[in-house]
Order: sequence, then C-alpha cells, then structure tokens
Amino acid sequence: MLARYAGTRLTVGLVQVLGVLVVVFSIAAALPGDAAVVIAGDDADPRRIAQLRELLGLDRPLSVQFGDWLTGLLGGDLGTSVVSGRPVTAMLGSALAPTLTLAALAFVVLVPLALLLGVVAAVRRGHRVHRAVTALTVAFYAAPEFAVAIVLVAVFAVGLGWFAPTAVGAGGPLLMQPELWVLPVLVLVIRPVCSLSRLVRSSLITTLDSEYIRHTRRLGVPVRRVIWRHALPGSLTPATQHLARVADWLLGGVVVVEAVFALGGLGQLLVSAVSSRDIPLLMGLVTVFAMITVAVNTVADIVAFQLNPTAGLAS
Amino acid sequence: MTGSTFLGRASGRSRVRIGAALTAVPLAVALLGPLLTEPGARGPAFTYGDQWLLGTDSEGRDLLTQVLLGGRSLVLVAAAAVALTYLLAVPWGVAAATARRRIVDEMLMRPLDLLLSLPSIMVLLLAVALTDADLLVLTVTVAVLLFPDAARLVRASALHAAHTPAMEALVLQQETWWRRQLGYLGRSLLPILAADAGLRFVGAIYLVASASFLGVSADSAGTDWAVMIDRNRAGLALVPWGVVLPAALIIALAMGVNLLFDSGARAATREVSTRKWR
Repeated sequence: MLARYAGTRLTVGLVQVLGVLVVVFSIAAALPGDAAVVIAGDDADPRRIAQLRELLGLDRPLSVQFGDWLTGLLGGDLGTSVVSGRPVTAMLGSALAPTLTLAALAFVVLVPLALLLGVVAAVRRGHRVHRAVTALTVAFYAAPEFAVAIVLVAVFAVGLGWFAPTAVGAGGPLLMQPELWVLPVLVLVIRPVCSLSRLVRSSLITTLDSEYIRHTRRLGVPVRRVIWRHALPGSLTPATQHLARVADWLLGGVVVVEAVFALGGLGQLLVSAVSSRDIPLLMGLVTVFAMITVAVNTVADIVAFQLNPTAGLAS
Repeated sequence: MTGSTFLGRASGRSRVRIGAALTAVPLAVALLGPLLTEPGARGPAFTYGDQWLLGTDSEGRDLLTQVLLGGRSLVLVAAAAVALTYLLAVPWGVAAATARRRIVDEMLMRPLDLLLSLPSIMVLLLAVALTDADLLVLTVTVAVLLFPDAARLVRASALHAAHTPAMEALVLQQETWWRRQLGYLGRSLLPILAADAGLRFVGAIYLVASASFLGVSADSAGTDWAVMIDRNRAGLALVPWGVVLPAALIIALAMGVNLLFDSGARAATREVSTRKWR
C-alpha cells in the first residue's frame, strides 16, 4: 500500500513541479523587464533592445521558449548569467554548500528543541512554564528574521563580541566555524520552533488525555516512559507533515539570513541576482527553490502516510 | 469554570494586554510620526551631536526624524495588501463554497495549491525585480501571495454557512441572491475574517519588510524602517540606534498584532471546525 501511495504522490509531485515551472516562466514572461532590457541597460535604444531580443531568442513564441527552457532544464542547462557570463547551473552548484550546511544545522537544532518545548508545555499544562512557552511561541512566530538577526548581531556580535557579525573575509568550510553559524542558525530556527512546538504540544495534550495513556499509567509505567515512549511517537504525525512547511520557511529564511551574515549561499546569490536583474539566474534560483519545496512536501506526505496510513489516505 | 480554563482565560487576557501595548507603540510612531516631524539639516554620517539626539544615519540625516517618517509606508502597504487579499479571496472562496457542481469548486481551488507551493519571498523578489519597483506592484504581489490561504479559509467558513438551516430557509422564502449571499453569508463570515485579518497583516508586514530589506523597495529615499536597517548596517558599531530602533519597532509590531489576534483567530477557526463536526 505504501508503494502505491508513494507512486501516486510522486506523480502528483511531478505534475506540481511542472505547474510551478509554468507559473514561474509565465511570471517572468508577463512582467515588463526581460534579459534584453537588462543587458541593454538604462535609456537603451529600442532597436538595440529588439536586436538583443532576436539574438537571445526572446522574440520567439512563448511556448517555443518554454519548450527550449524545459529541455535545457532536463539536461541540467539553465542558461547563462547575463551579468557574469557563467552557466547558471555552475553558479548554483558552487553556492549550494553553505545553504545546505545552514539548512542541515537548522534542522538538527530545530527538531529536538521543538520536541522538548512542546513536551514541557504539554506536561506542565496551566503551569506558568506552559503559559510562558505559549506566549513566547506566539510572539516570536511573527518576528521577521532579518529584524531578529540584526538585533542579535548588535547584542552578541558587536556588543559582547561573542560571534562574528558577518562571514566577510572568512575562508574554509562553514561547519568548522561555529562563530559564523551559531547566530544564523538561531535566527533560522526561531520561527519554525514556535510553530512546531505548538503543534507537538496540542497533539501531545490530546494523546495524554486518551484512554490508552491513562491505562499505561494505571499499569504503573513511569511518567517519563509514558510520555517519551508511548505518548510522543503517536503525536508526531501532524508535526511530520508540518516539517514540509518548515522547509519552505527555512528556504525563505535562508535568503534573508545569508544576506544579513554574508554567507555566500543560494540566498545571497538570489539577492545579487535581484539587484542586478540577472533574469536567467533568477529563473534558475526560483526553479531550484520551488523544486526543493515540492520534493520536501512529497517526502513529508509519504513519511506521514507511513506513520499513519488512515490519515494519509483521508488527506 | 475549570481551573485550566480560568488559567487559560487569565493568560489570554494578559497576552491581549501585552499585544495591545506592543502594537500601539510602533503603530502610533508609524501613523503619527510623519505629522510630528519633517526632514531637517544633514550632518556627517554615523555621528552624534546636540542636533541629533539618536545620531545620524548613513546619509547624515537625523535618525529620530527618519524613524518617525519610516513606518507609514510599511504599515500602509501591508494594510492595502490585506484589503486587496480579501477583495480577491472573499468572492473566490464564496464562489467555490456555493458552487452547485463539484468540478467548479475543484477548478477554483486546485490552482491555489500550486500557488501555495511557490516560495513567497522568491516570487516577491522575482516580481518586483522584473518591474519598476513601485508601491502598486509590491502591494499586488503581496496580496496575490496571501490570497490562496485566505481563499481556503473563506471557502471553509462559507461552506458551513451555505449549508445551514437558516440558508435553506432563505432559499425556500425565495429571498434575493444579494440578500442571501451578502446579507446572510457575508455577515456570517465577518467574525472569522476580522480575526484572520490581524494574522494576515502580520504576514504582509513580514513579506513587505523582508523584501524592502533585501533591496526591492519602492522607497528610494531610504526612510522605510526595513530599508533603514539595511543601509545603516555599516554603522552598527558607531550608531547602533539606526539599526536597532527600526528593527525593534518592526519586531514589536509583528509580535503585538500576532498576540492580539492569535486567540481570536483560534477561537474563530475552532468554531468553524466544531460546527463542521456536528
């Protein structure tokens, strides 16, 4: 049954990716600026723009352009940057390592922290710990990453000198330099920790009130064992599905965090592509980010189905 | 009333109070600030002096003046985007909920799933980068990004209201379409939309401020709070207020509105889900 569900979900995922590509391409085509306008520069002669359009193939029908772009994408060719002249695929490849390191570190911190906060808030219902955790998670959930990042940099990097304010001038792998990644990871996890811990808390409260858990308590099973071994695993299905949404947030957060801390990953590449209006690079970046989002959603659905097949089929 | 309910209400009340206080300060600065001040003489960048209480910014302007001037565009763009979101989402969601054929409902709602799978910040950056960044493009793009989620909420709420005995009675009484859809359905959606609007406003603030910080802002003068943070970062060690103060105001506004509306939104959506159960 899992294989069948996974097959269906992967097919839906592929259709979604194709839909996203159509949308991204349509947005880029519908908006007034294109690569020819960017290359021609400000106050360019319309004839020069027309020549460039012809040279870049932008005067062809949209369906033909999309077909070519899609064929290129399938062959790993996303075009050439109009600013640097380098292949977009190569630029994406070289910027991938810092982004993946940041995202992986954020996940390693996020999951245990969210579980711990969710469990504490659920077990201490009505207690001031529960109220404090709830209020803090509601409040910090809304705070934009860049604003939090800048306040943390002002206090912990500039004020106290504990961490580096940015990665400018730093070399070597990011993972080996905690003074560079502690603040970015902290900023990245604040928002998802708030939502995930709330989900774990509410789900765990429901499970703790169930007859099954009451029965295990009556049997004399220690409280900690009841919570961590019996109640928590059964409460994780909604949180697993929510992790897919978290991945979307992390992607958005990574863009901002890399810009604040100058970490040189995909996010910073995106910001420079926006400021220089490098359209082929922008298209490549948005495509990669959208494909990651759809892939993560698909995997999360399959994992959730494995944890709870009934809920998976219902959704 | 059980103990936990009482505690829940007490903590809910204090959360609303804290939320109101956190919202009032940045909102007052944003809306009243431009009435209280006007741009003054410039001095050296990132410096303190008798003329400049909090110091000067990257272009030598008085920071206090810039802070007072910089919130209005952020708040107004976010508010306009939320209004536009509901202008699109309400008829869309109601049309899907009241469609006689399931295929119409599916055709209206399925494409929204696709929009939801697009990374918001990236679409915003793409849209604003490919146009001449102006307030209209920024507002419309943010509204389009907030629209799918809002339309789903409207549809879920309208679905319940459209199938109540009261609605059936209105149909049997041959009441006009306007009276049924606006008079009854529209009115039953109001409490849910009112509770949801705050959270949607926080989402809009988040997107507009993040985009402005990343350089896609309609504010070329650099007075927007998010733009101020970006431009004054270089002088963080010299004049921290140029960065910390606008950041604190944005955080306070987002946190405050979220605290203020969160319990209301949860109660409203709980109401919808409880009704669906019945």
